[in-house]
Amino acid sequence: MNLKHEYAKAITRRHFFGRMGMGIGAIALNDLLSGRSAAVAAEKPVGQPSAAELSRKIAAIAPKAKAVIYLHMAGAPSQLDLFDYKPALVPLNGKDCPEEFLKGKRFAFIKGVPKMLASPFKWAQHGPSGAWLSEVWKHLPQVLGDIAIVKSMNTEQFNHAPAQLLLHTGTQLLGGASLGSWATYGLGTENQNLPGFVVLTSGGKTPDAGVSVWGSGFLPSIYQGVQCRTDGDPVLFLSDPQGLDRAGRRQTLDALRQLNEMQVQAIGDPETVTRISQYELAFRMQVSVPDAMDISRESKQILDLYGARTGYVSDLGNKSGDVRDLYRGDDPTFANNCLLARRLVERGVRFVQLYDWGWDHHGVAPGEHIPTILPIKVQQIDRAFTGLIKDLKQRGLLDTTLVIWGGEFGRTPMQQNNNAKFIGRDHHPESFTMMLAGGGIKPGQVYGETDELGYNITENPVSIRDLQALILTQLGLDPWKLAYNYQGLQQRLIGVEGKAKVPRGLLA
Amino acid sequence: MDQISYSLATRLGILMGLCCSFAVICHGGEIDFNREVRPILAENCFRCHGFDPAGRKAGLRLDERDGAMGKLKSGSIAVVSGKPKESEMINRVTSDDDEEKMPPPSTGKQLTPAQIQTLQKWIAGGAAYSKHWSFIPPVKAMLPKVRLSDWTRNAIDSFILARLEQEGLTPSPQVDRRTLARRVALDITGLPPSPADMDAFLKDTSEESYERLVDKLLASPAYGEHWGRRWLDLARYADTKGYEKDLKRTIWPYRDWVIDAFNADMPYDRFTREQLAGDLLPNPSNSQLIATGFHRNTLTNEEGGVDAEEYRVIAVKDRVDTTVQVWMGLTMGCAKCHTHKFDPISQRDYYQFYAFFNQTEDANRGDDSPVVRVAVSGDSARLGKLNAALADKNRQLEKMAGELSEAELAWEEQLRHETIWQIVRPATMRAASSSTLAYQSDGSILAESKEPEKETYTLHFPPGETRLTGLRVEVLPDKKHPRSGVGRSHDDGNFVLTGITLKARAPDGVETPIAFTNAVADFSQQGYLVEQALKNPDPKHRGWAVSPKIAEPHMAVFTTEPHDLAAGTELILTLDHQFEFPYPGFSFGRFRISVTDSVAPRLSPPIPASIQAILRRDSAQRTAKDRDEVRTYFVSISPQTKSVRDEIEKLKVEMGAVPSIATPILRELPTEKHRQTRMMVRGNFLEPADGVEPATLASFQAFPAHAPKNRLGVAEWLCSRDNPLTARVAVNRVWAGMFGTGIVETQEDFGTQGTPPSHPELLDWLAVDFMDGGWSQKKLIKTLVLSATYRQSSSVTKELAGRDRFNRFLARGPHFRLEAETIRDEALSVSGLLSRKMSGASVMPYQPPGLWKSTYSDDRWQTSPGEDQFRRGIYTFIKRTTPYPSMMTFDGNSRETCTLRRSRTNTPLQALVTLNDPVFIQCAQALSRRMVMEGPGTPEGQIAFGLRTALLREPTPQEVKVLVQLYNDRLEASRQDPQGAEKLAASALGTIPPGIGAPRMAALTAVANVILNLDEFLTKG
Repeated sequence: MNLKHEYAKAITRRHFFGRMGMGIGAIALNDLLSGRSAAVAAEKPVGQPSAAELSRKIAAIAPKAKAVIYLHMAGAPSQLDLFDYKPALVPLNGKDCPEEFLKGKRFAFIKGVPKMLASPFKWAQHGPSGAWLSEVWKHLPQVLGDIAIVKSMNTEQFNHAPAQLLLHTGTQLLGGASLGSWATYGLGTENQNLPGFVVLTSGGKTPDAGVSVWGSGFLPSIYQGVQCRTDGDPVLFLSDPQGLDRAGRRQTLDALRQLNEMQVQAIGDPETVTRISQYELAFRMQVSVPDAMDISRESKQILDLYGARTGYVSDLGNKSGDVRDLYRGDDPTFANNCLLARRLVERGVRFVQLYDWGWDHHGVAPGEHIPTILPIKVQQIDRAFTGLIKDLKQRGLLDTTLVIWGGEFGRTPMQQNNNAKFIGRDHHPESFTMMLAGGGIKPGQVYGETDELGYNITENPVSIRDLQALILTQLGLDPWKLAYNYQGLQQRLIGVEGKAKVPRGLLA
Repeated sequence: MDQISYSLATRLGILMGLCCSFAVICHGGEIDFNREVRPILAENCFRCHGFDPAGRKAGLRLDERDGAMGKLKSGSIAVVSGKPKESEMINRVTSDDDEEKMPPPSTGKQLTPAQIQTLQKWIAGGAAYSKHWSFIPPVKAMLPKVRLSDWTRNAIDSFILARLEQEGLTPSPQVDRRTLARRVALDITGLPPSPADMDAFLKDTSEESYERLVDKLLASPAYGEHWGRRWLDLARYADTKGYEKDLKRTIWPYRDWVIDAFNADMPYDRFTREQLAGDLLPNPSNSQLIATGFHRNTLTNEEGGVDAEEYRVIAVKDRVDTTVQVWMGLTMGCAKCHTHKFDPISQRDYYQFYAFFNQTEDANRGDDSPVVRVAVSGDSARLGKLNAALADKNRQLEKMAGELSEAELAWEEQLRHETIWQIVRPATMRAASSSTLAYQSDGSILAESKEPEKETYTLHFPPGETRLTGLRVEVLPDKKHPRSGVGRSHDDGNFVLTGITLKARAPDGVETPIAFTNAVADFSQQGYLVEQALKNPDPKHRGWAVSPKIAEPHMAVFTTEPHDLAAGTELILTLDHQFEFPYPGFSFGRFRISVTDSVAPRLSPPIPASIQAILRRDSAQRTAKDRDEVRTYFVSISPQTKSVRDEIEKLKVEMGAVPSIATPILRELPTEKHRQTRMMVRGNFLEPADGVEPATLASFQAFPAHAPKNRLGVAEWLCSRDNPLTARVAVNRVWAGMFGTGIVETQEDFGTQGTPPSHPELLDWLAVDFMDGGWSQKKLIKTLVLSATYRQSSSVTKELAGRDRFNRFLARGPHFRLEAETIRDEALSVSGLLSRKMSGASVMPYQPPGLWKSTYSDDRWQTSPGEDQFRRGIYTFIKRTTPYPSMMTFDGNSRETCTLRRSRTNTPLQALVTLNDPVFIQCAQALSRRMVMEGPGTPEGQIAFGLRTALLREPTPQEVKVLVQLYNDRLEASRQDPQGAEKLAASALGTIPPGIGAPRMAALTAVANVILNLDEFLTKG
């Protein structure tokens, strides 16, 4: 946090938007005191960023998307068993991997010469784009006309935590600011009564890189993601204490405000003014968050569309051992989270980040055996993702909501263990597949191509930097200019070097 | 440019507008090298023309004047002072020829016209290079002259006032005494002043009363807790190891060391030395070892399949980055991969500095070794003494080892005549009872059954031996047996060998008994001697036993007349366990049989196979490692060392009896085991490059001449008077802790990209004074809080709001929100719940259930019992991946990396914590009880008491009136809802004080809840 930068920002903003003749503090105070003397506050400085400030940011370039729903499949799903059909692997199945693929490569777990691995699933073409999908997808074909499949994603990192950090925070090290925090830093939020950046998790674990993937890093902590929970208070400490009803809380806050206003008159610190408004916002959040998080308000039709189930609380987080052994295809946690994502976006939340853990299928444990675990994981998300796209579309929200689905890297065309009981693939940063939809993405296309074994990209590569640039651009933020000075460098989501290009072919 | 990005230029513009007299920024219209030129050169040129000779092209370096102005091989000169047109640099950067153009097009870099213009102007103006301000050692400037000289109390005020007068501002009046007492107590101890201290201060109206209060606060143990907690942000102290598994780590003794060090006002140079290199001090004390926990707070990755070396390297890099950040305020991280773009730190510098830290024993191990044992409570002095005695004995042993060469040779010679025992494996094994016998990989035999009974083991050994002079029985402790003993007696793990017979069975089936002539054991139980097993008239009551040493291995040797065995002869051994008093079952649990043909077999300890293997080789064939191993082994058995070894054993036993825990420390590898440090291409540990030797940063003062070339030397170098940064960074940090913002606002960056100091001469004066004053932080703090600057009122006048929004000129006192831990401590303190218990394992105050989702461990958050849940925030258990949520909401720290500056946000989630967190509700309930028990009888009086208790000042009638109104409203509502009232008043604390009733208590609880949420309460005013 750098006061001077905040100050500079405020000044700059004021310079460009003359309507803000007074600082935020003054505005907030005037809002609050409505006509009462604000002599002390008339020339108030802008203190640290506040939620009030969040709402007053304006996009730099014409935005295509107002909100983002990012569905991260932590562990990295196998593109070769879901999207990237490689019949050429069939005759090579079980044969040694050609040496050219191994030279100079570093694998997380593969040792020696691995065998090639064909997908154990049947494949068919679907939709207007004729996209190949494996048989594990039952619902997805219905929305292929609305999404773009990007087969040419690639990354620089091949271990989970660093790859997740690079993708979500722009650096493989701890301490970067996450996508959602950049978005709220750049744009603010549209609904002051809800956090601008909400995180929901499923799969029984948080992502490998921990809470840092939704942290604000060097940005002020007000921009960090707020994790909403499905058991207990949806946001920590949201409930009033036992025995104090809403009317009682209102009375206490009225008294608090009166006393704090006396403090404003006595000392005149604009932070006090901000604090008064934050208490009011907290009061409103106490209603708006549970409302947004209550899927029982949805019709049965909508619940069915997603495969959501009201009142379901996963207990996977409390189990010991390998939770993947306990996975059930009909677990509705992810579906519930998708429905919540729509409800939040509908209410003006800027960035909704879902993490679903359990996609790391090496084939060294029962919970990593692709022929059995992949259909279970896909069952958990297939209907939910398809339902989310349909629902956003029928509500007219898809045009302004960018939906992203994918892992942190791909999986190898080789089997990891040559003579294992279970079948799985190692980490593969060279190529993987993601799905994009809405928010100005050209729908119904398959973008990019890989070689006949699915090892390297042959057409239209999209790097993590490119994806980050794309997301910011669609939100109306210039990825090269959205920066924050920290540790002597102009920190950017796309990296200090700024090596990124927006893949124009993906845009409508 | 848009409203979000604010380029350097914009920032500069604003900075200049705001503080155009910052001497270091502006020199009229001249180009400032550090601000304007260095970044261009660093970004575009230094990669090939910088400090790093390895990457230097065309022999040109542009990072220093001589290099830039020297004649190049090509004959041209890059920078010709005053003559841009003759400067090859300008020709190259403006060239259209791709072959000539700089930076080369292949780099993708290109100078903007504005940048080229800057370079041209700079050269035209004389191409001055300048050293960055903070790289020049500080000197005490003369105190500036001021007009309002009777306002000043000490040197600080002169500097501050001079600046204010320059700006046409006047200082604020002194703050009222109550507010001053609260401010200074919160700043020094992190707690509000106790009522007694406050009263004493208010009663004593003398000029010295304030200083007396300050001295009292500095002497309070709470001082060490408050400032120690801030240091722990730098030390990235936490109670878990981080990464995916994030298992617990026992390193709280380091936290206690920090608190103690602050309380003892350990001079900062010694504080530095002990933390960075306590293990390298002569005869380090336990406390000095614990201090090295500073750098054992790095993360450990225990995820399956990780490369331990990779994470060891990451931890060492973290130590390097943290050391340079904390002591010198420089960001070094980027030099891992490439030479620093802006500050004079090359990649080589990085790895040379890294080499100092690359020689410790720790290596991403799950057990956190190396560790030192620390007494859990009370006995730390005793344990410290024992540790010291142990270290002393170990040194003695080491010294003896060096003097044992001759004895070792003699021993080896003797070994040639020594009994050579051959472990024999039975072809068949039989137990008379239902026991099973199983042969183990170490040659032993494990006996097991549901219920041990009287027993006879019969073992048939295949032919193989030709001559026999004796037989050895080893009995070995085993976890499978009672009390992990050597025997199977279910009460005590003992055995009784009641008989032993041996027969030779010739190939023709004829069996001949072989008589034992003698028996000797390493230990026999009183009354149960090994000889009894040879001829035993009363096997039900007599035999060889080993109580009480049942958990140690033992052996007995049974000698025979020398006996030649014809080819094909089998041996049959029976071991009898017929003892049955008071119950049967006294049989061997695990045992091993060996035979020998040595003359006069003796009871000598078995030599490990690995040592035997070495001894079989000629000494000429042995490697240094072999010799080492043999020496180590010999020392461990030699009679010359026995008395020392016995003492060591005794000390260990004594230490084992002191309740203690093991805490991680740094320990240097012995010289011969030092790692070779190599540079890493792009920071990748898999791509090692040139080897480097340890060295401190080349652009700073030289390594102290007589200091050892290790971490201790680094500590000396950091705290040398010539180090331009260490003292400045330290005093700036303390300043920021009191005034909210550092004199250098970027506490983490004193390099060329950091913000310039608001009062450079003041910073230098304080830095020099700090060193002159023996690096005493208490003295420094006292200087700060005694200044008139500190004592000003923090009220914001309209003029000040307009002129100096961020209070950088300090025309008013500090006013800002308290830190996460302080808010907690303050609420607990005024409500009377706070426990002042210090030190010990971290505690778990209440947090909502279900936050820890550790898949790989059974760690659970369990609210600590009793007063432990009400201890100061510094003692709260920090799990790095799930830190304590309410403190995180107030910008607390998850301690994954060194944090030099916390942000200070103002969010609705914070309101939810102080309004609703059950901990704060508990505080409200407790405060309302105090209002009733300690306040007067009327609601007005009780409410005024509550306000006075929390805010430490007389409330205004208006304030009381607002809360009385709330009280009345809530009283009425509570009467309508007695059950709700009961919950609000007593959900956490239980029984309501007699005679008051739930509705009134509930109304007062609501009032207390408001008091604990007042802006004034959450703010240092």
